[in-house]
Amino acid sequence: MPLKTDSSASVSGLIDQAARTVPPMWPLEATVAVNPFLGAHSRSLGTAAELFGSMTGQSLLMPAAWFEQQLETGEISDEDIVDAIAVIAPRSLSTPEQVREALASAGMRAPTRIPMVLDLAGQNAGVDFSAIMTDRVTAWAADYFDNGQALWQVRDRGPAWSSWKDFAANDLTPEILGFEAFCRFSSGLPEDAESFVGAALQELGLSAEASIPYLTQVLFNLGGWAQLGRYRLWQAELADRQDPVMRDLLAIGLAWEVFAFRAHESEIALNWKRACKKRENLEERAGDTVVLEVLQYALELAGQRKLSDLIAADAGQGETGEGRPAIQAAFCIDVRSEIFRRSLESVSSSVETLGFAGFFGLGIDHHAFASDISERRLPVLLNPGLQTFETSEKDLTEDQEKRFRLRAVRAWGRFKLAAVSSFAFVESAGPLYVPKLLQGALGLKGASSKSSPVPSLHPSVTLDARTDAAEAILKAMSLTSNFARLVLLCGHGASVVNNPHASALQCGACGGYSGEVNARLLAGLLNDSGVRSGLAARGILIPEDTYFAGGLHDTISDTVTIYDDQRRSSHAKDIETASYLLDVAAGLARAERAPSLPHSGKPAHLKKRGRSWSQTRPEWGLAGCSAFIAAPRNRTLGKDLAGRSFLHSYDWKSDKDFSVLELILTAPVVVASWISLQYYGSSVAPALFGAGNKLLHNVVGGIGVLEGNGGTLRAGLPLQSVSDGITLRHTPVRLSVCIEAPRDAIISILERHPDVKSLFDNHWLHLFAMDEAGALAHRYNGKGGWAEGFQADANGAAAEAAA
Amino acid sequence: MSLTPLLLLAPPILLAALAATGFFQTGPYPAVRKAVPWLAWLIGGISICAPGAYFMTGAQSFTLSAGSIELLHLRLDIVSASLVALVGFIGSIVLAYSGEYLEGEGRQGRFLAWLSLAMASVLMLVSSGHLLQLVIFWMATSLLLHRLLLFYPERPGARRAARKKFLFARAGDVFLIAGSAALWLHFGTGDIAAINEAARESEGAGGLVTSVAALMVAFAALLKSAQFPFHGWLTEVMETPTPVSALLHAGIINAGGFLLIRFADVMLLAPGVLALLVLVGGFTALFAGLVMLTQPAVKTSLAWSTISQMGFMVFQCGLALFPLALLHIVLHSLYKAHAFLNSGDAVRQVASIRRPGPIAVPGLKAVGAAFLSAIVIYGLTALALGLEGKSPQAIALGAILVFGVAYMLAQGLADRAPRKLGLYTAGYAVASTVAYFGLQSVVAYLAYPALPATPSPDGLEWALIALALFSFGLTAFAQATFPMWASHPAVRGLRVHLTNGFYVNAVWDRMLGGWRQPGRACG
Repeated sequence: MPLKTDSSASVSGLIDQAARTVPPMWPLEATVAVNPFLGAHSRSLGTAAELFGSMTGQSLLMPAAWFEQQLETGEISDEDIVDAIAVIAPRSLSTPEQVREALASAGMRAPTRIPMVLDLAGQNAGVDFSAIMTDRVTAWAADYFDNGQALWQVRDRGPAWSSWKDFAANDLTPEILGFEAFCRFSSGLPEDAESFVGAALQELGLSAEASIPYLTQVLFNLGGWAQLGRYRLWQAELADRQDPVMRDLLAIGLAWEVFAFRAHESEIALNWKRACKKRENLEERAGDTVVLEVLQYALELAGQRKLSDLIAADAGQGETGEGRPAIQAAFCIDVRSEIFRRSLESVSSSVETLGFAGFFGLGIDHHAFASDISERRLPVLLNPGLQTFETSEKDLTEDQEKRFRLRAVRAWGRFKLAAVSSFAFVESAGPLYVPKLLQGALGLKGASSKSSPVPSLHPSVTLDARTDAAEAILKAMSLTSNFARLVLLCGHGASVVNNPHASALQCGACGGYSGEVNARLLAGLLNDSGVRSGLAARGILIPEDTYFAGGLHDTISDTVTIYDDQRRSSHAKDIETASYLLDVAAGLARAERAPSLPHSGKPAHLKKRGRSWSQTRPEWGLAGCSAFIAAPRNRTLGKDLAGRSFLHSYDWKSDKDFSVLELILTAPVVVASWISLQYYGSSVAPALFGAGNKLLHNVVGGIGVLEGNGGTLRAGLPLQSVSDGITLRHTPVRLSVCIEAPRDAIISILERHPDVKSLFDNHWLHLFAMDEAGALAHRYNGKGGWAEGFQADANGAAAEAAA
Repeated sequence: MSLTPLLLLAPPILLAALAATGFFQTGPYPAVRKAVPWLAWLIGGISICAPGAYFMTGAQSFTLSAGSIELLHLRLDIVSASLVALVGFIGSIVLAYSGEYLEGEGRQGRFLAWLSLAMASVLMLVSSGHLLQLVIFWMATSLLLHRLLLFYPERPGARRAARKKFLFARAGDVFLIAGSAALWLHFGTGDIAAINEAARESEGAGGLVTSVAALMVAFAALLKSAQFPFHGWLTEVMETPTPVSALLHAGIINAGGFLLIRFADVMLLAPGVLALLVLVGGFTALFAGLVMLTQPAVKTSLAWSTISQMGFMVFQCGLALFPLALLHIVLHSLYKAHAFLNSGDAVRQVASIRRPGPIAVPGLKAVGAAFLSAIVIYGLTALALGLEGKSPQAIALGAILVFGVAYMLAQGLADRAPRKLGLYTAGYAVASTVAYFGLQSVVAYLAYPALPATPSPDGLEWALIALALFSFGLTAFAQATFPMWASHPAVRGLRVHLTNGFYVNAVWDRMLGGWRQPGRACG
């Protein structure tokens, strides 16, 4: 049935649906991990793999050979396969032998991409039209989205569609490369992008069923630019606005298709019809991927079994005394904190650690000293609620003074880069580059270690509002009683140089910035005597002698900087002790991490990695992440989780209405799923969801990277971030969310949040309810109920742990 | 035998040894990578002694023979000493960078091997004392670079660029061979120092043969240093790891300029050829400089910058300002090597540009005042440091400094710019003017009389200088007043053409079938 384009509502619906299948990409200035399957969460991995495979030719599952290796090394046992079959393919498969056979058989080939018009026309003409289209769209989009790289910026950018039309009408490159009269064609396109999309679908003869997969493919074919557009849409919707950028990008992609169709229709008509037929029957395609999906699930089961045994082994050994700890230290739930927390606890039994999202509940719109930029230091799912500043009334002059200096440096930078003046620059300032080169080569250039001024809330935030915030945060942290004398709130950051993906190593909960600002703000808030008396009135009694201090855990070197902002002389000694303990813990953490990094040599050299301008693997980031555990720390205390688990402190017994549980399931769990699935996507489909080879990165517009000279914008993680060049450093598994809470409470929260539930229902995440021993005793069955999980096998597990 | 030949030979020998080891270490994490930083410091350390040796002993030639067969002619003079030091310094930093940067890359050993060989070849090229040796290492450098450009041979973009580069380079080889043959026949020797001496003694009386030889050399240089219209490949070679770009833009690309400076005395015999260099170099400098302004990708922008800077250097050669051209090569290389190696910093840099608030846009009055102030600063500095011994060409060229400094000052003088900012930019302006003059005086002192003095300009040259100053000045003025006219629709179209470098590259691609793919129609 041909598509009816007279009803524009249906076209805009198609556009919208296609647009939402594309994951957003945050610009590298402050990037965060994104679930690349965001638009496919109502599908299972297997069906998503078929859809993406048909659009892009890329597989979303590891290759058969890799799974064979996992079987050989015993990573996946037969027991795991049997259990996986029962969940994934109870009808089509039955025994592990069958799976092994299927794996070895020829059926395991790469998915085939359904051709687009450009592919067919290009084959016909013997010229890579598709690559030319990508090259030309990048030429336009790099200008359009440029955030300040080019000195001569495009002005009056307007909507993407009219900007592109303007560009295409002038750009003679396609004409020279064989797209005859492309300029005339593009200047003759209608002003209204939506009506063009409708007309194009009709002209290309796409049925209603084929339209959505086709439009989605057109967008995916634009690569990172479509993802950047999706980010714009995301930001607009957060601010309750509309942004037609996805519609425009779609129209741009379609314009090339229509042009190629008109020029080559007679030669490609038959093949094009075939391609359209395939798109109609997408859902009926035979599932080659089932075996791989089973094995993927089995691999995850194997990991969960180990995790359950580990946690349940010697249950209760980690019970801490009921007494008051000397120091409490809260860290981000980031998997990198796990190693450090374990080290710190092992140094002194008087230290208690907690895990909480690294923005510490403060969704801030931050303005750094002498900066106009608004830094959204909060999870990207949320809108900032608080304005914060580093410039206070009394240092306004200093702020101005620093701005003048920065602006003069900027003028100097323009002198360096402008036409004509660049010759004068070279002939006068060239010698300065001898020390600069030496500085780089010797790794003397570090990120500025000068500590920034104390951040403060906008004065308009009332005491009541501050108290509300403090109360909500302490409850969410499960920290409402038994406060230590010193409570450290440690954000984290990574000090690296010359790294376009530096922000990917920072705190995701802080929107891709380092976490010290939020930590210092919360410490300041909780030290405020007004807030404390307000809290006391609400039943949270913070002892007089409790002092909060912010901190920053540098994930490159494992050093922790303490920000003693309120300077209480009574606590100088405590701070000193804490610094000492943190130093010792840092040594242990470094010793644990160093062997995993290539060529790291002595643990003490880790710091140098961050300062080296030629280091592509300053640290492993969150590679390896595989579990999310929300439980009291006692359950996991002293257990070596190998830096692979997000640890969220949660005590359901003090969560009366399960509002904290609801928060955990809908915010940190979702963020963790984005991280886990980004690593998954960048590992299994690097060409599609990875940023490519760092050795070739060419930063474009200050927002992203091209791989080499051209191609499209590359979102996701670079190859070097997931692999050491020999093996994958990130074993691609979907995250296992383990929560110690009553099962029906969990279910009722899921029922209220269908988007979150859908992640669990379709196995993008695994969900376990832990028992008192910490075993993953109950597995969510994906249909709103529970199945048997792993039972604590105390003796066996204990023996294993001892070995 | 003095130690000097050893000084020139030790770095290439060490590099060859490194290469020999690298070739045999297959697979990721070759052991040789750990030795690379130490070896790099050693090579760099030896190389930067070359100028010292030159100042102690003066210009020298060395011949290494095995029995009666002469194997190598090495030349140590101001040109080779400064370039050996430059290439040795930058090359060793690039090498050390690669030792870590490529960790985990399956063919790191091979990469290090090709990179060391390319660096060794450049070192041998710049210290060549004989035509034959010059030609051999000229070609070797190019072929080794070709291997580096195709480090990822599976990338279509890499193949496209390398192919273009390969064709231009072979055409350059033919010109260099022809030019060298003509020189050898005419002067009866292959010794480059002797050829230059003979050329200088002929007192400007060049015959047809020397003119043709100079023209051939000029063509070879233009092709090598990516001058219009043979520049496109250079903007596309980001298809290979960053260190290659650094070595290419800070080492190998200079070979063209080196050639012109090396044969300075010969070039002076052919004023027509020099005029050609002024035209092509000047045009490339402006053209590429403008294209650079529009580039949103950092490495691409740097590549256009190199083309532009090479154009300026060729322009200086055309004006017979060889010492300045040598200075330009050295300073540009230092800047560009750093810019490439540090290009991952672009995200942070772009973000920090926006931090201190919007840029104050200068009006016409501010731009006028800026130009005047720049002239005053220039005049005062010139008076203070003295102009004696400066050629009219060099003084005229000072105008580019005025234009450049004026551009910076204009930003500080804009109506909305605070006074403090004006003061800061004035400080930068004075500092750069003094540095500019100081560096030129030093190099003029050092290069005399090794490099020929600039002859007084004739009518044609005056006209070219005037044309150049006019177009440079116009560009600088247009750039400073840019926000006033940038929104005009015609300018929007012009910007699109500029972004694409006026399509020269697309035309080459079409002629060479760069975007072809196997298909049914492909015979």
